Amino acid sequence: MTFFNTDITWLLDVYILLILGYAILIMSSYLILAYLSQKELRAYLKKNSFVDYEVLLTSEFAPKLSLIAPAYNEGLTIEENVKSLLSLNYNNYQVIVVNDGSKDNSMEILIKTYDLVLGDFAIHPKIETKKIKGIYTSRNAAFKKLIVVDKENGGKADALNVGLNIAQNPYVVCIDVDCILDKDSLLKLAKPFLESQGKRIIATGGVVRIANQCIIKNGRLVEVNIPDVMLPRIQVLEYLRAFLLGRMAWGRLDGLLLISGAFGAFDKEIAILSGGYSTKTVGEDMELIVRMRRYMLENKLPYAVSYIPDPLCWTEAPEDFTIFKKQRSRWMRGTIETLSFHKKMFLNPKYKLLGMLSVPYWTLFEFLAPGIEFVGLVITVIFILFGLLNWHFFLLLLLFVYSFAVFFSVIALFSEERTYHKYPKQTDFFKLLMAAFIEPIYFHPLTVYSALIGYKEKIMGTKGWGEMTRKGFAKK
Amino acid sequence: MNLWELYKSGEWEIPFLTFSIYLFVLASFVFYLIIVGSRNRNIKREKRRLEYDVLIEKVLSSVIFQDVLYSEIKKDKNFLVLFDTNFFREVLTETLINLHKNYEGVYAQKLEQFYKDSGLIKDSFKKLKNFKWEIKCKGITELAEFNIKEAFNQIIACAKARNKTLKITAINAGIKLEGTKGIVHLTEHDDIIDEWTQVNIISAFKKHDIGDTKGVELLLESQNTTVVSLGLKLIKELKLTQKVPFVAELSTNAPNATIKYEAQSVLQALTV
Repeated sequence: MTFFNTDITWLLDVYILLILGYAILIMSSYLILAYLSQKELRAYLKKNSFVDYEVLLTSEFAPKLSLIAPAYNEGLTIEENVKSLLSLNYNNYQVIVVNDGSKDNSMEILIKTYDLVLGDFAIHPKIETKKIKGIYTSRNAAFKKLIVVDKENGGKADALNVGLNIAQNPYVVCIDVDCILDKDSLLKLAKPFLESQGKRIIATGGVVRIANQCIIKNGRLVEVNIPDVMLPRIQVLEYLRAFLLGRMAWGRLDGLLLISGAFGAFDKEIAILSGGYSTKTVGEDMELIVRMRRYMLENKLPYAVSYIPDPLCWTEAPEDFTIFKKQRSRWMRGTIETLSFHKKMFLNPKYKLLGMLSVPYWTLFEFLAPGIEFVGLVITVIFILFGLLNWHFFLLLLLFVYSFAVFFSVIALFSEERTYHKYPKQTDFFKLLMAAFIEPIYFHPLTVYSALIGYKEKIMGTKGWGEMTRKGFAKK
Repeated sequence: MNLWELYKSGEWEIPFLTFSIYLFVLASFVFYLIIVGSRNRNIKREKRRLEYDVLIEKVLSSVIFQDVLYSEIKKDKNFLVLFDTNFFREVLTETLINLHKNYEGVYAQKLEQFYKDSGLIKDSFKKLKNFKWEIKCKGITELAEFNIKEAFNQIIACAKARNKTLKITAINAGIKLEGTKGIVHLTEHDDIIDEWTQVNIISAFKKHDIGDTKGVELLLESQNTTVVSLGLKLIKELKLTQKVPFVAELSTNAPNATIKYEAQSVLQALTV
């Protein structure tokens, strides 16, 4: 090989081959997943065009759901958010708002708005949690679905566990209280629980999309817009890539390791038998799914996790880098913690596809990827310093990665165009297309940097979520 | 130089990278063109749909309110030219179905007559014979909406399909057309009838207000426990107290504990 200006060693050759091999491996896996996702998505949409969700609205056999919404210092928006949860299209459901020791006036607002009084609840907690100060129900019949739990602060996972202990229905839907839900989201989320044929459906999840700059009216999304600010705009594209081109395929393979904490439904019995949400990780959503799957596999119980590609939940993405960094470093910590808790599953045939494919994939491409990129960067700098770098090859390699990233984003746009077409305005489409070109040089380095911060935080033993301030949605 | 020689010579990386870059750029451009093309097509289609809507509304309101027959409408050459296009017929059928859902009595009958006279019914039968299940479903939905009872046997044959969506669509259509005759064949059904299908069947009974429930009890005799469960749910949801003796018998001779429990719960709901 003649890539280097000086006498080269076989080590340098190996290094080049490893970098190239890793890039090819990651790209091929993305393309395979994208292909599977497209197939699954088309089949789903074809099937869904004949589905009448209204049948669930009038049926007493519709799965009974308990919505659990943990709230911490949400005083500014809690009144409207709870109202929107109470007005979803579904009959058999209750809403459990868990006030996780908020320091603001969330509790006072809830008591006043919903005419709450302390109720007489006999709880037999199956999962250990922080102390509950009181459980409230409304005197107003219009809010009979609502239960508000006031508890000592214990974090999101602890609040969700309180909800699991209190929920009266067999299925729980865990949501972020500040998310905007589609009116029919519960109907769509509940349907898979009725479709099990010999396999128990232990969880269902839907697609989460970015709501920055979208117009919200009475707690419902009425106009979809693409953010003007570049950071959230690229996150729109990133979510399209992740949900439309990635998770759908994992759903098809039944190897999904993550159902977004923002909106997912679970079989309560299995969630409790698996031990509920872990308070030892900040990635409690991913960890629970892995543990529930592990529980079913270890007990040889046939099961499935269902995934719905419809955009059911809209959330606000961080608009400034500081918040973004906190979010992504936390995601990385959550991934490391989950993979480390369940390292036994890694390449273990006992855990079937999960152990042989999903967990290794997450380890190699989600957990290790930022580290590998960082090491690559350091070695490249060393090569430059020692005059070892073949610039021609290096620039070609950069262009190779860049062109693939743009190509993959265009596939995501193509997929969105052929399926949900949520961004019909021409300007929005071009904004996203522009984002596809900027993403590899602006957004990707930020995600890698944030992930490295996540590594560092994990090594330093940082715990907790950190403050996550939100800007709020535009209202009509 | 062929690929293998290139690889063996150890000089493959540069050509590989160059080729891949060209490929990604070209593929991105092709996808971009497809997206733009698809957007333009959709815009044009929507425009045409709006134009058709105006004409279709005019035609159908004359059918409903002025007793104009199809034989008169087809004298309009402009209409006939449009009627030859698939998209126009598609929009016309959709509008017709929506109107039919909103009207009852004489108005509904006039729309049914128009559906038959215009030949749209033939399109529906053609769809029913199509190999693609989604096209079959469309045909079934149309024929059931316009109460074409002659299609019942063909539709019910589709209820035995493996495809669940087709099965549900066909059973629902069968129930709309012939009531319980649309489900008695399920007694011989081997496949699992999942709860989603069951909920759809129950909903069809409620939606189409099927009064005559003769034959529902036959479901309780099936060897397929999911069919038995469907029968029990139907009896409970439709409050068929006349079927209590059949449920009582099932509760004593139930094939398994789950069915026994379900039968007892139905008995309790109907007798308390």
